[in-house]
Amino acid sequence: MRGRTILLTVANLLIPVAILVFATGFFPYKPFIPGLAEYEEIGNYAYKFGKAPDAPFNKLVFMVVDALRSDFVFGEHSGFRFTQSLIRSGTAIPFTAHATSPTITMPRVKAITTGSIPSFLDVILNFAESDTTSTLATQDTWLAQLKAMEGGKLVMYGDDTWLKLFPDFFERADGTSSFFVSDFTEVDDNVTRHVPEELLNSDWNAMIMHYLGLDHIGHKAGPNSPNMLPKQIEMDGIVQQIYEAIENEEHLSRTLFVLAGDHGMNDGGNHGGSAPGETSPALVFMSPKLKQITEGTDGYRCPTTPKADFDYYTKIEQSDIAPTLAGLLGFPVPRNNLGVFIPEFLHFWADGSDRIQLLLRNAKQILTIVKATFPAHNFKDKVQEMNCEGSLSSGEELSCKWQNVVQALETAAALHPKMRMDIIYSFCRTAQDIMSSTTSNYNVSRLILGTALAFLSFTLTMLSIRSKLSSISSTGIFYTLILLLYGILMFASSYVEEEQHFWYWSASAWFAYLFIAESRKEWFSKWVFHPAVMLLIVTRTLRRWNQTGQKHAGAPDIAHSTFLLHPLVLWSLVGAVYLDITIRLSRHIARSVMDPKKSREEKGYAELESGEGDRFVGMLAVFPLGATAFVFKLGFTAKDAPELVKGVNGGLFYWVGDLGLVGVARMVFVGLALSASWLVISEWRRTKMVKKGKESGGDLAVALFDLLSLFLITQTRAQNIPVYLLFRMQIFFLTLLNLTPTQITITTLLLTQTSFFALGNSNAISSIDLSNSYNGISGYNISAVGLLVFMSNWAGPVYWAIVGVLLLSGHPSSTPLYRDRYFDEQEIKEEVKDWVKEEREHLNEMLEKEVQRGREKGKKGDWEEHVALLTLWMGAGLGAVMCACTVLRTHLFIWTVFSPKFLFAMAWGVAYHLGVSVGLGGGIWWVGGW
Amino acid sequence: MSSTTTITKAPKTRPPAAPINILDNDTAKLYTHIHPILVLSLYAFQFKSIVADPVPALLRTLIPLSVLQIAYVAICLPPTGSNATPVAPPKPGQKKKPVPGKLESGIQGKIIPAFLSLLLSTLAATPVLTITLILFGAPIATHHAHTLLCAAHISLLATLPLIYVHGVEGEKWREIVALLLPIDEVYGAMIGAVLGAWLGAVPIPLDWDREWQKWPVTIVTGAYTGFAVGKLVGGTLLKGKKISFE
Ligand SMILES: [Zn+2]
Repeated sequence: MRGRTILLTVANLLIPVAILVFATGFFPYKPFIPGLAEYEEIGNYAYKFGKAPDAPFNKLVFMVVDALRSDFVFGEHSGFRFTQSLIRSGTAIPFTAHATSPTITMPRVKAITTGSIPSFLDVILNFAESDTTSTLATQDTWLAQLKAMEGGKLVMYGDDTWLKLFPDFFERADGTSSFFVSDFTEVDDNVTRHVPEELLNSDWNAMIMHYLGLDHIGHKAGPNSPNMLPKQIEMDGIVQQIYEAIENEEHLSRTLFVLAGDHGMNDGGNHGGSAPGETSPALVFMSPKLKQITEGTDGYRCPTTPKADFDYYTKIEQSDIAPTLAGLLGFPVPRNNLGVFIPEFLHFWADGSDRIQLLLRNAKQILTIVKATFPAHNFKDKVQEMNCEGSLSSGEELSCKWQNVVQALETAAALHPKMRMDIIYSFCRTAQDIMSSTTSNYNVSRLILGTALAFLSFTLTMLSIRSKLSSISSTGIFYTLILLLYGILMFASSYVEEEQHFWYWSASAWFAYLFIAESRKEWFSKWVFHPAVMLLIVTRTLRRWNQTGQKHAGAPDIAHSTFLLHPLVLWSLVGAVYLDITIRLSRHIARSVMDPKKSREEKGYAELESGEGDRFVGMLAVFPLGATAFVFKLGFTAKDAPELVKGVNGGLFYWVGDLGLVGVARMVFVGLALSASWLVISEWRRTKMVKKGKESGGDLAVALFDLLSLFLITQTRAQNIPVYLLFRMQIFFLTLLNLTPTQITITTLLLTQTSFFALGNSNAISSIDLSNSYNGISGYNISAVGLLVFMSNWAGPVYWAIVGVLLLSGHPSSTPLYRDRYFDEQEIKEEVKDWVKEEREHLNEMLEKEVQRGREKGKKGDWEEHVALLTLWMGAGLGAVMCACTVLRTHLFIWTVFSPKFLFAMAWGVAYHLGVSVGLGGGIWWVGGW
Repeated sequence: MSSTTTITKAPKTRPPAAPINILDNDTAKLYTHIHPILVLSLYAFQFKSIVADPVPALLRTLIPLSVLQIAYVAICLPPTGSNATPVAPPKPGQKKKPVPGKLESGIQGKIIPAFLSLLLSTLAATPVLTITLILFGAPIATHHAHTLLCAAHISLLATLPLIYVHGVEGEKWREIVALLLPIDEVYGAMIGAVLGAWLGAVPIPLDWDREWQKWPVTIVTGAYTGFAVGKLVGGTLLKGKKISFE
């Protein structure tokens, strides 16, 4: 017994270790060069340079419009009429700036300002670290360079991401945060109101604006929302205002105006992944001075059609913005930049040697990073013999390209400047490709070690349950088969994208299996209403609740149906969920306030059922909590999705408005914490009074679960809350089935996964729901936000993990309140109603048996086996994902499909499995044994 | 216990279920092996048109499939009620009973039950299977004809011979659903077709962009393949074995 426990503990501890080792190999730490860049001696070549070229601009207006996809500016149906006229007239140069995944704002701002290419690791670091490493305060950016210039002053208006990344950078700033995506106007008005006065101020040399409204419209209603065009016209008006000021104000005459999107959006209006729509933001450089470099060319047609999806005009990398700004405004290229100066702008310098100098400075800066990445290779600054034939490694290829640069510069002969520039460009672009693909940067031995550790965890778990393995059962065969299939499917990119199908498919088969298994023991005459068949029906309904994955992302589903979203329907269902939980909680409180000693004296035995008076007290105590939680949901939805609360009495929001949503959410959380402490303390006192073994702990476990579900509902979007009624039905039908502990574990496993996808999640970063991540938080508290993000996205799995524990210990049905509660609840489902009446007696009979069984259940061995089977799955699943990421590391989809999957697997492995399934579940199991 | 019936009662009233043996004549023994080949060839022949336009093609294919299945049960299988399953194995050297050779008794005893089975499997089993398919994830708002025809094919493959040999007695069908009967080629074919249809769903989400990945081609393909495999394995390797859940 002890040996088993040790093996299982080690297997569980190996999971985070394996994840950590693998992550450090998969997202390698990139060499980072500290300090601000300065103009350095360019080097002594046969080709001679003059002094550093003069910059055509001295001021910068950088206007970011969040999620400004290329077609919003350049397309036929764009609202950017004025901007388009500038492009046609040659005073604006358009680009599509390729944004690499993850296409979310913070890493994109990092790419734009530093010129580096932030990896997925930055996403985690941004979340996990609040200290200076995640800010850009100490990094070399064009903001730092502009600030360091003589008289450099920066101002910033808009998305407060910039203020977080650049603390104490700005002379004047006004940040806006995107708490509510339903806010289309206020976030932008807060920026626009500062524009006129700032255009009159002459003290700044860079003004940054970041508009969020367009992104919010996308999230809310997609790119074709009726609000989209008016918003574009509004943004175009601001462009016009700024451009005309540049034309007319003397102090702005040498101002470069950049309009950029940080990322795009997909057809659903979301972003984060790497669909063409998400990675193709627009980029426009504007200034009357640009006329001088576009004059000789053909100019640009606008509006126009894209070459490929969203691919308008020249496609550049988003990181190219930083070195281009450096050249145009006259400061050294930021140190960690991997971008390449945009060739169109070289025409500002008539002299070929100036152009070459500009590029060479860019190349030498990139070379420092290349040297740090490939320390073993030869990047000497002199002409030498090199073997550049045949297939070359990344390092060799770069070292050859650099040698070409050196040779081109050491040739004094009358080489056309264009040729020398092409050679330098070739080096820079290759370096950019190689350094950003990171294929060369994988630490393969760590990848293999991490994968091996995951499989070691799997093996140790196998050893811990080896006695169980010797007997072959159909349940075991089912578990093994789906485990094998799951492992194989993790290698198929489409199955990673559409993972929900695997789980729904397995879950339906599992319930069919349970139906057959039950039918073998006892034939249920009304087999159409067999609990397993009902489970199939409920699962099918859940499957339809949210369409997830890539292929059918926008397909019709229940959560977006006009029927559910009718406020009356939606809030009746949501209200039913809240009412149900409130009544449950009131009974728990009633139990906790009654005095077992008194009842023992009066009746001669300890009454476990509470009386009328106690129930009243319980309701009185719990009602405020339930009501506050419900009002919070109403108030939150009114802000987040106003269309869902149309027709709800405005007076209800009156006091919400006074207290603020943050205050109300805090009241709910504090109420939950107080109730939990009260229940635990009173239960603890009871266990001292009443003799042990009276299954009193079971009630506490159920009470804590009900409190937890109230918390989870608070973290769930309104249109998903009715799902909890379906969950309740699933629990009910499960308690009617005579499940063995192993079957309970498999059911838990399948339902945790299906509930995750049914609530609208998938393996895409863009599907992460951030709307409930700031409930009750006013500042920026990373660990609290992280916890809330996890809880709101993993609400289903957390719910089912605990239900699994309760089922395993036989508690849910053993609490008396369950028995009389269920049938009221069933009335909601009309079609079940008649059947309920008919079968009521029979079900009660079965419930009696279930209660009996429940008393026999709850042995320690069951818990260990439960954890073992879940750990086994986690170890194998993680191992498969890691193995897929290792084997397919050069696959086209590695950054778009497999690495997001690994990020999700990390959350499943550490936060869900260790934190919730084993940690929280273990706590509930322990409490249940009091 | 008014609403439940325990199947443990069953053996008291009936002899323990024995596997179905095919009729003891050369035609039956030969045709039972040819039949799956014919069924698969029929499907292979129709495959292209099913992929191109599932609804009319699946509908068309139902007719030859019914003909084949009726021929199969009539030629190879003992109809329900007939005591073709020997109570005691024939002793070596014992003279076999002559097979009823008259054409009339053939029609009376075989063709009519075969057509009845066809009728029942179409009218009773197809709706149940359609609902089952939807519960397992078939499109709920669209593709109704597709799903219905898919169910009809599975039903003809899986349930027609079962109805022919076991009839419609409720008790028997409970045993069939609960997988309590011993395996034989008919039962094996049913289990194979159902499992095959279930496994047929696996390739649908893959991004191969093939025409045949569309609903319900893979399901029907799985059912046909499963039918043939199940029939073969059930009639040979696993014949007479009982499925154990322990
Ligand atoms: Zn966004």
